[in-house]
Amino acid sequence: MDRQLSEVLLQSSVKIGIMFVAMLTVVAYMTWVERRVSAWIQDRLGPNRVGPFGLLQPLADGIKFLFKETILPPHVHKALYLLAPAILFVPAFVTFSVVPFGPTVEMFGRTVRLQIADVDAGILIVLAFSSLGVYGIALAGWASNNKYSLMGGLRSSAQLISYELAMGFAVVGVLMAAGSLRLSDIVTRQAEGLWNMFTQPLGFAIFLIAAFAETNRLPFDLPEAETELVGGYHTEYSGMRFSMFFMAEYANMITVSALAVTLYLGGYHVPGLHYLGLSPGLAAAVQVTAFAAKVGFFLFLYVWVRWTLPRFRYDQLMNLGWKVLFELALINILWVAFLVLIGWV
Amino acid sequence: MHLLSGLIVLMLVFALLRAMMPDRPLAPWALLVAGALTLLVIYRQDLAGMEFWAGAVGFVAILSALLVVMHPSPMSSVLFLILNLFCVALFYLMLQAQLLAVLQIIVYAGAIMVLFVFVVMLLNLKAEQALTAGRGVQRWAALVLGVMFAFMMYWAIRHRTGSPYYEPQTFQDGFGTARDVGLLLFREHTFAFEAAGVLLVAAMVGAVILAKRQLR
Repeated sequence: MDRQLSEVLLQSSVKIGIMFVAMLTVVAYMTWVERRVSAWIQDRLGPNRVGPFGLLQPLADGIKFLFKETILPPHVHKALYLLAPAILFVPAFVTFSVVPFGPTVEMFGRTVRLQIADVDAGILIVLAFSSLGVYGIALAGWASNNKYSLMGGLRSSAQLISYELAMGFAVVGVLMAAGSLRLSDIVTRQAEGLWNMFTQPLGFAIFLIAAFAETNRLPFDLPEAETELVGGYHTEYSGMRFSMFFMAEYANMITVSALAVTLYLGGYHVPGLHYLGLSPGLAAAVQVTAFAAKVGFFLFLYVWVRWTLPRFRYDQLMNLGWKVLFELALINILWVAFLVLIGWV
Repeated sequence: MHLLSGLIVLMLVFALLRAMMPDRPLAPWALLVAGALTLLVIYRQDLAGMEFWAGAVGFVAILSALLVVMHPSPMSSVLFLILNLFCVALFYLMLQAQLLAVLQIIVYAGAIMVLFVFVVMLLNLKAEQALTAGRGVQRWAALVLGVMFAFMMYWAIRHRTGSPYYEPQTFQDGFGTARDVGLLLFREHTFAFEAAGVLLVAAMVGAVILAKRQLR
């Protein structure tokens, strides 16, 4: 193997390892944040017994899930039943590989780009893999051989197809403004001018709403609506496989938040940073922290919205997706085209 | 060369086995292991080479394609079709057509197959119902067409020019990127592109009219 290839392999595997561990940690702590913030919103205490502020609660939960029995209900499609949680899990992690979380820096005597893969078709990879997550839910519902699970699976496939469309069309606006599919180009372009959030607020709103639907979070958690479907697609799951659905949901939230930050909030860009005259290393550290903070804000928003808004009815969900968001996304495209025409972006 | 002929022989043996014993359960895993072993033996010298990976993906592609038509459960057929489409995307990637590879996943694996899964789930076909043996005439027709197809493939392999795998010198910089494909579509193939658009709209209108006929 030649030196260049081995260098690429080394850098990529180190970056993948770090991001994987970071994401799993954030996923674990999001469960804690969710419970603490929901408690705070409802004027309760939340888990505060295990460790200081209940910080060791995710660890206790993890151990509990690991030691629980994995029950295999009779009459399930065994292979798919076991495979489905994993299918849901993979896209969330794969998608994160094209998101830039920092600038290019000099580190350990080599040039390191703080992004796992800077692919030419970046945003398309995101759309491709996020659309694969639906198989996990649909198959979990179908393989469970339970009518509530099947209903959840059916609902999720209908919901994800509908909102993928609005999301894709909202992203078209970003692509038109940047003139590139590369996520690193999209960030640089926003750093040069205004963040997309300000030039296309409509597209940002559509993306955000569609992102809630794509991650099955309230107010769009129809596939698992507890009051009508018991637990939806994960009714029949237990133990570690049940917790994998939750981990996948939080991993998806992180990925979608990182995407929203990259596409609309200038990614790792901090306005006015170059006036401070920091050294390149320190500036990069500030930028990575800024990226993490922006993602953190979106994660908080997810929790905040979940404990504030009630669930949509199914027909309302479909009407909103097809009759409102889709048209608004088309209007957004016209708006961005107009901006490009007069040379504002 | 011997890889492709090996794959075709494997395919024929598999098809023959299925035709002889339609009631016996499939053993795709045994076949997968056998195929992997064959690949390892053929390419034990060059395991990281392009030919090895092309062979591996090709083997999975052929196996999954066979399982699409031969698996008794419709849901499994649909899933093997998704696997097959992924293999095609990998082939595009090996040929440096990265945009096409991603579009393959978005359009086929992501959108169209979700619809298939949706329909199969709604119909909720049972395995026994789904597997209806073809009539005598159908079987003979299938045999004739199959033999013709095998000859066609043999001919295509014999008369191919150059290596089917990736060779850096045949591609200029930027080949297969969104920019290149876009320029091709809007400069050289504008008419075909627009015609395809009109065709799709017509198909969509037709589908809506067919679906809404009873409601009127």
